[in-house]
Amino acid sequence: MSDVNSQAFIGQRSVCMVVWTLLVFGWLCSSALAQISISAPQDMRVFDTPSDGGGSLTVQWAPSSWDGPDARYQVLAGDAAVTDPAALTIIAEFPGNSKYVKDAKTAWWTRNVDKTWHQVLVRSAKGFEVKDGIFYAVAVAAVQGDQRVFSQVLVASPSPDWFNWNQLNNLIIALSFGGLVFYSISYAKRHEIFLRRIPGLDAVDEAIGRATELGKPILYLTGAHDLHDPSTIAAAVILGKVAKRAALYETELLVPHREPITMAVCQEITKQAYLEAGKPDLFKEDANFFITADQFSYTAAVDGIMLRKKPAANFFMGAYFAESLLLTETGASTGAIQIAGTDSDHQLPFFVTTCDYTLIGEELYAASAYLSKEPVQIGTLLGQDIGKAVVLSAIGIGIVLATVGAVTGAQWPQLFLDLLRDLK
Amino acid sequence: MIFLRRQLPLLITLVTGLLFAAQYYVPHPASEQMLTSATKWLQIVGGFALILGVTSLFHQHAVKIRRQEAGWGYSLVLYVGMLGTIAVGLWTNGKESVEGTMTAFGWIYNYMMVPLQGTMFAILAFFIASAAYRSFRAKSREAAVLLVAAVIVMMGRVPLGEYLIPLSGDVSSWILNVLNSSVRRAILIGVSLGAVALSFKIIFGVERSYLGGGKE
Amino acid sequence: MTFSEKMLKIDRRIIFLMIGLCTLLPLLYPVGLPIKTSSEVRGVYDHIESLPEGSVFLLSIDFDPASKPELYPQAIALLRHAFKKNLHVITMTLWVSGTGMADQLVTQVAKEMGKENGTDYTFLGWSPGGQAVIINMGQDLYSAYPSDYRGKPTKELPILEGVRSLKDVGYMVSLGAGRPGVEEWYVFGKDKYKFEMGGGCTGVMAPGLYPLLRSGQINGLIGGLRGAAEYENLIGQKGKAVAGMDAQSATHLAIIALVIMCNLFYFSLRQQKG
Repeated sequence: MSDVNSQAFIGQRSVCMVVWTLLVFGWLCSSALAQISISAPQDMRVFDTPSDGGGSLTVQWAPSSWDGPDARYQVLAGDAAVTDPAALTIIAEFPGNSKYVKDAKTAWWTRNVDKTWHQVLVRSAKGFEVKDGIFYAVAVAAVQGDQRVFSQVLVASPSPDWFNWNQLNNLIIALSFGGLVFYSISYAKRHEIFLRRIPGLDAVDEAIGRATELGKPILYLTGAHDLHDPSTIAAAVILGKVAKRAALYETELLVPHREPITMAVCQEITKQAYLEAGKPDLFKEDANFFITADQFSYTAAVDGIMLRKKPAANFFMGAYFAESLLLTETGASTGAIQIAGTDSDHQLPFFVTTCDYTLIGEELYAASAYLSKEPVQIGTLLGQDIGKAVVLSAIGIGIVLATVGAVTGAQWPQLFLDLLRDLK
Repeated sequence: MIFLRRQLPLLITLVTGLLFAAQYYVPHPASEQMLTSATKWLQIVGGFALILGVTSLFHQHAVKIRRQEAGWGYSLVLYVGMLGTIAVGLWTNGKESVEGTMTAFGWIYNYMMVPLQGTMFAILAFFIASAAYRSFRAKSREAAVLLVAAVIVMMGRVPLGEYLIPLSGDVSSWILNVLNSSVRRAILIGVSLGAVALSFKIIFGVERSYLGGGKE
Repeated sequence: MTFSEKMLKIDRRIIFLMIGLCTLLPLLYPVGLPIKTSSEVRGVYDHIESLPEGSVFLLSIDFDPASKPELYPQAIALLRHAFKKNLHVITMTLWVSGTGMADQLVTQVAKEMGKENGTDYTFLGWSPGGQAVIINMGQDLYSAYPSDYRGKPTKELPILEGVRSLKDVGYMVSLGAGRPGVEEWYVFGKDKYKFEMGGGCTGVMAPGLYPLLRSGQINGLIGGLRGAAEYENLIGQKGKAVAGMDAQSATHLAIIALVIMCNLFYFSLRQQKG
């Protein structure tokens, strides 16, 4: 081995030695530091989980300086008589840098500690049952390697609550919106309110007129849902207006249904429409009829009606799924005027493509106002519009604040954004 | 009579409407129990309502067969199909298979219902194509924008499209995640406000046309 | 009638034939183009991957045979993944017409993966009520489903030990073809009983569920056959979805070609008319 080579070899060995020494020293220091820093969880509190249905306790404790992925926390619980924390059952174990108050989906006005505190819910688990009205002992342990340090043992009892304070914002917004709607209705009774044109509804008369001219029936569908869904109710309300005009023009009306209760309600609505039109003798009990609740069997049956009876006007109101295109495309092939109205946003592209007119989203709800021109209905629309303006303003403010926060790196916009997020 | 047809239903609507709106804010097990009981009652009422539907169905088709109206043969098929399935279902106790062996009911399910439903759904692809050909035209600037977006998304959602135009996958993902989501949210906000307003009107009896009958 | 007018009023059966051929030929002669994984599908995969062994995974098979071509491969891929991870798999359906199909599906995959009914998985079957079933399960799973599909009492099933309600579910995926489906599981399930959930749906419905995905209400979405193919790729078990992607590619391109053609004829007609 030459001198140069041996010097280089010695040099490399020296560097290796230094690196190894540093690594070993570093490891010893870090493990020694970790061993020293672990301590019992501080300021621990246990109480009945607020705003819940019972069967749960909340455990909170302050964050520690050594919180990290290497250290772990254990939440232990057991019979209230137990005083030794080591005798309790481990309910949860997780890394020291997880399970914070901020992770729990609670609103800021219900928080009783800073969002950087740890929080865990004690609930029934395998081999451990939490029952309302019974006291339980709870403790938290900090764990690292073989070391385990316990907090004090606290006792609490779970109980169910009568109000979910996390949803207070929701209640306030709902009541405010309800109040707004009723105020708008009373305002509309006293004032004239402009209502923009909805071409789809202007075409209703045209469609019924055409059916009358051709001597063909009108087909009206109320959608896939039952009367739980507001869109079905809106469809039933519009049916009343369409049936009244069909009665005036003495045109046959066919209303196939997927749900028996909706059928019964629509029968009443149609009957009343014929009465109001002064043509009760023209009313047929079987104008509304049930086919089946099954999606595609219903679709096949309605397609069959379209092809055999060739209605001159098809109305598709309410909620729809994959059957929408099968219905409207068949209707288009028979040359009928087609008017759709749905809040099923995923089916809108199909309706827009295959129907002559489509009422999009809330236009379905606005339809009864447009057709009746009653102040009650128009006032409701005004209320909805004001509601939308409020939502739009919140979105606008949120966008500006988020942008300012991102551009300047300032923290204050986040406070307002949190407020808006909790107010959702 | 007017009490039974008008006032009582409106009173029931008001009380139950307010009760179940309040239920959303009450986490107590009693409130949850009330919701469960009500939903079970609704199921029972719904079950009886089916009798109403089936009666209407049988009546409608019996009239067609009796008068031999156009397509009365289909009504006959309906009678045979429905009564036959009910009979087989009762015979096999509603089981599609017993210890791994397919029953007659299972045969109807697997070899009639499954292919028939599959066929109906499969027609969708053909109808999408014919509807697109007939209606997807750049009649205006807005329609042209829609057309371009649709072509990009169609390309980006299939491997061949991404192979031919590698960027189409990312662009279609952006269109779906950003443009599509925001537009749908806007529609949803409008729809939700409309639904809430309608619910308020129904609960407080302002909207009553769903009961049939006009104002009095 | 000019050529453009004739072409614009072409018999739709010709279009049907074209689509039929575009579907059939790639199925007979597959090409096997590479499939990229989207973040939405990866969301579901990653979450299942992160679950510790023995976690409770609930799969609600909310579709009927009509949506089988798209959703069946999704269900197979998800079940294979869950069984591979040794999760406790609970399956059910909210669609009565999908009960028999769901039972066949679960039994077939469990048999393939060597899993035992009642110990490693269970199929609860169908219970009437739609969204009401979700609420009932949120309060008491044993009362919503007193017995499983085979008639065994749920309280006695080893796999359901300690699983009293939806609160005890680690992860839930609804494969929905309509209502009740993903949205109902979110509104009446996750929102009330706080569990993590993902979704799967038909291709037509997928764009409608993106708002749920973007707002974090669901943590992943498997959309249509494409989503199923991506999931099959992720678990490394290619199945019917991957095989169907060539047909879907050809059909999409055929529709694009049709749209371009119809616009060409439309503009030429407009020019002719001045």
